[in-house]
Amino acid sequence: MNISLNWLSDYVAHGLDADALAERLTMAGLEVEGVTTTGPSLDGVVVGHVLDVRPHSNADRLRVCDVDLGPHTPEGEASVQIVCGAPNVAAGQRVPVATVGTELMLPARDGSGLAPVTIKKGKIRGEVSRGMICAEDELGLGTDHDGILVLPDDAEVGQPLADHLRLHGALPGDAVLDVAITPNRPDATSHIGVARDVAALTGAPLTRPDVDVPPVGGDVDGLVSVTIETPEDCPRFVGMVVRGVTVGESPDWLKDRLVSVGLRPISNVVDVTNFVMLETGQPLHAYDLDRLADARVVVTAAEGGETFTTLDGVERTLPAGTVMVADGEGYVGVAGVMGGRDSEVTERTTTVFLEGAYWNPSAIRRAAKALGLQTDASYRFERGADPTGQPAAVARAAALVAETAGGEIVGGRIDEHPAPYEPRTVTLRPSRVARVLGMSVPEDEIVRLLEAIGFGVEAPGPALDAFAEAALMQGQGAASAATEAAETALTVTVPPFRPDVEREVDVIEEVARLWGYDRLPTPASTPVPLVPASDTPSARLLAGVRQRLAALGFREIATNSLVSRPTAEAFADAAWTGLDGTPVDTLNPISQEMAALRPTLLPGLLGVAAYNQARGAGALRLFEAGRVYRRTAGAGTAVEGYHEHTSLVMGMSGPAATAAWDADGRDVDVYDLKGVVLDVLAALGVADVTETPRPAPDALTAYALDLAVGDTRLGSIGRVADAVADAADLQAPLFVAELDWDAVAALSSGAPPRYQAISRSPVAERDLAVVVPEGTPAGPLLQTIRQAGGPLLQDVRLFDLYRGDRIPEGTKSLAFALRFGADRTLRDQEVDGRVRRVVKSLEAEHGATLRA
Amino acid sequence: MSETTPLDDQIAAVQAEIDALPLSTPDEAEAFRVRFLGRKSGAVTDLFAQIGTVAPERRREMGQRLNGLKQAAQARLDAALAALTTGTEAGATDLDLTLPGRVPAPVERGSLHVLTQTLADIQEIFRSFGFAVARGPEIEDDWHNFSALNFPPDHPARDMQDTFFLEPPPPEGRGVLLRTHTSPVQVRVLEQQPPPIRVIAPGRVFRNEAISYKSYCLFHQVEGLVVDEGVSFADLKAMLTAFARAFFGASDGPAREARMRFRPSFFPFTEPSAEVDVWWADDALPGGGRWMEILGSGMVDPNVLTNVGVDPERYTGYAFGMGVERLAMLRHGIDDIRLLYENDVRFLKQF
Repeated sequence: MNISLNWLSDYVAHGLDADALAERLTMAGLEVEGVTTTGPSLDGVVVGHVLDVRPHSNADRLRVCDVDLGPHTPEGEASVQIVCGAPNVAAGQRVPVATVGTELMLPARDGSGLAPVTIKKGKIRGEVSRGMICAEDELGLGTDHDGILVLPDDAEVGQPLADHLRLHGALPGDAVLDVAITPNRPDATSHIGVARDVAALTGAPLTRPDVDVPPVGGDVDGLVSVTIETPEDCPRFVGMVVRGVTVGESPDWLKDRLVSVGLRPISNVVDVTNFVMLETGQPLHAYDLDRLADARVVVTAAEGGETFTTLDGVERTLPAGTVMVADGEGYVGVAGVMGGRDSEVTERTTTVFLEGAYWNPSAIRRAAKALGLQTDASYRFERGADPTGQPAAVARAAALVAETAGGEIVGGRIDEHPAPYEPRTVTLRPSRVARVLGMSVPEDEIVRLLEAIGFGVEAPGPALDAFAEAALMQGQGAASAATEAAETALTVTVPPFRPDVEREVDVIEEVARLWGYDRLPTPASTPVPLVPASDTPSARLLAGVRQRLAALGFREIATNSLVSRPTAEAFADAAWTGLDGTPVDTLNPISQEMAALRPTLLPGLLGVAAYNQARGAGALRLFEAGRVYRRTAGAGTAVEGYHEHTSLVMGMSGPAATAAWDADGRDVDVYDLKGVVLDVLAALGVADVTETPRPAPDALTAYALDLAVGDTRLGSIGRVADAVADAADLQAPLFVAELDWDAVAALSSGAPPRYQAISRSPVAERDLAVVVPEGTPAGPLLQTIRQAGGPLLQDVRLFDLYRGDRIPEGTKSLAFALRFGADRTLRDQEVDGRVRRVVKSLEAEHGATLRA
Repeated sequence: MSETTPLDDQIAAVQAEIDALPLSTPDEAEAFRVRFLGRKSGAVTDLFAQIGTVAPERRREMGQRLNGLKQAAQARLDAALAALTTGTEAGATDLDLTLPGRVPAPVERGSLHVLTQTLADIQEIFRSFGFAVARGPEIEDDWHNFSALNFPPDHPARDMQDTFFLEPPPPEGRGVLLRTHTSPVQVRVLEQQPPPIRVIAPGRVFRNEAISYKSYCLFHQVEGLVVDEGVSFADLKAMLTAFARAFFGASDGPAREARMRFRPSFFPFTEPSAEVDVWWADDALPGGGRWMEILGSGMVDPNVLTNVGVDPERYTGYAFGMGVERLAMLRHGIDDIRLLYENDVRFLKQF
């Protein structure tokens, strides 16, 4: 909210400049996000004392003056010499002096308005002149150019002119503070509200305008009737009438006030209601009483579905329960949000009915939300206006309407008050203040700070002592009871304009912010509870794998969790993700491009690959770890009906190796990525991974290999399907793998490995080549060899794959290197026997024949 | 005969490439298809786009030649694919996917995302101060994200965080949402373990805000929570001061002095609340710098403790939350948050 410094000064004479005030407010919880200054710059202009005036030897109309500038006089000199052309300059005067280097806005030589001129040291007709004695217009302080501005004799010599003028309330221009109001501070949504904090912070008194609040009833009762049908929505409704008004333009002072904080003046009556809202924080509404049917006002609730045209000319459909103001015929306003067209004040209005109500904050917030209409009024009501502030605000407005629009205030006031305000009291223990803040704030300081912002504080009653005695007699908690007894609990009465303060801790916050957070201690040490600093296994293992992938040349990416709905649908493929269930859609997307949650990390990876391929990236190795999401019929992971887990996606495209002087380049293939994925799993100790090929094209892949351990699906590796690659504008084949990281982490035992004795005996190595039909996969053969090899077989490796004219057509040759060992020296026959068993098994299970 | 144009030369070059490129594996076939027939950037597609550069009287002829080129490429691809798909299913690969993988040597040095690095630094600092790490879901319910954290229903405090709600809408749904902050993890931790608690909770959070250089629809936070007997605001100041010195003081950047200020603010789940600024030195600014907000914090509101069954008379605590993006951007001089999610390799490799 915008706070004008000039306006603020009507209520508190704080004596601070804008920046200092902004700093004080910020450090007390009213954060000033910006300061806008208007008016002339008086930087460099100081108060000078004219010591001597003599005629200029070369010019009749010029004088030569010696001027004392106080601390601004150059060292070792008593004064500076300034040539002046004004007829009224005289010795003994206090005058404004623009010192050398000051920039002034002076009339341009060509008469085209003002132009910046820097005051320089120079000679005028042969006489040295160091500065300029200024007239009002030269400083931007007025239009007078008849002579120099003569200041009062008590002006302090050398003082910056701006400070002098500020002290005399004569500084032109204004500064507007942009104050960020947090939701707990409805009291600060007005100039008086901010002035209250300023007064508390500076010790200057708070001055409110005098207001004559007329008694309830009186003549106004005969002019208009008010009925509240929904008292829970409207605990108070105050009204007054001014008749015989002439609606027209506001006086300058009123327009200036509104313009200074960014409001557009409309007419004197409307401007007064806005002015009083910005002054007191109480929104008001003005009706043309002659346009209120039957001179009736009824507070009621909308049935739902009706339409109503608000002041802004928009026809709105009312949700059921919207609090409405009606007259004898129909609705005239959405309560606390915006008035209606048909009863607004116009140029023809002569009788004004002023409304000031206290509306239930929740009701106003619901209405404003449902209608999508936030106004200055709803902003204040939904935060909570002062429930006792209506009579003074309405009376203040009535007086200002009479002042600015003429007319006569009808005696008395309407004050429907179905739910009178009950002041709230809170018990405050100074010992608790110390426990929460970490230091004892002296009790008299607590009282002083709270009273400064309108809280009432009372000394302790005897009840506590009785409590302490009882506790002591029961013989338990003697120490704490003694502490309790030793302290004085304060009874704090919360002012009505602080609806946020309900508990002891709320009062402690008020003490803390006024005392100053900077004055609270910052100890050098703080106790540490002895709880192990663990992380989830999934996150801990991921940290290691990130490093591993980076070492393998992969780059980590971070992509949006939000994707378009068609993308989410297309990628929610159970074959790739292993998950059934529909994607999660948002109810209120920012855009159609971000309307659903990603069911897999694949769309993000594809986008990044395409983006970088289009920008000339050659070899791409990318990975991302992040959450993926699904609707589920089951219990869900944390929130019923929704599943999410951490996923790890990897992608490779382009060269696997670049050509070098000693090596040929080649492009990546699926085995490069498979090697990386299985390396990652092996590093985590995930063993016995089963591989199930899916050679045929699928929705997302041209082919894929599914990985599992037992019944636990880990993920898949494959090449992105042609149609998917085309849709993503990929320029080279992309190999991708995605793992359900939570599943992988659960399989990683995490237990420290057990040491096994290293065999001191030699190992025996045998090579074995078999011929199998072309279509036989190699993986199962490795599996068979391991099983048949038994515990003596320590390692087996496929080291050659051959197709060609040395073996029958339609077959391929697979060559394996086998390593046998034990904690003893193996005999040749033993090893040969094992190899024969391996060959037999390969023959039996895979139709393999030993290659001749 | 008309003279040859640059397009003629290009057609000849592409034709030569089409004839020469190897096509013996399915992956080579895919590379071939993308290279020549890709929808956006295929070489033949490109040539079609250039047809406007030749003289009008030759365009018809050029069009026919390009069609011929396209058909030639398609024919070679179809023949190769037919030869490759000897399996039972149409289009199935004959690659033996069960062959062992290999781990290729890096072509370039890899890199971790700057957010990961920043988060790791933050975590390391708090680990050294004895903080455990907790995690929570990104899809949250109203209770954990708002109600348990003392956001009353129909209260303007809820407007402080623009929320993405998830299908289905009430009454079928229960106001499930994308968490707007990591504070719900506070509630989940307090629900699961008794004090003493000293934990941080890093994670991704979402805000329904217009995307610009300074705001994105999601970002990352690190939440902190300490609950024990005798924890005070002074402890909070001490901890966060120590953090800022460790995080900024270790660098040579504009905040190396880690000059800080705590100023009153408001969060529904803390009371008293504070925002913390660090002084950002910048000689170009009047005053030699400016205050930059780095985190929000405060004493855990007694209502939060009561909501999870912890006695607020016995236990007190503090909580804080900081934005990882903001800290990363400050530290590395990144001026547009969108760079972090664009994933341009030329950006990623700088960290």
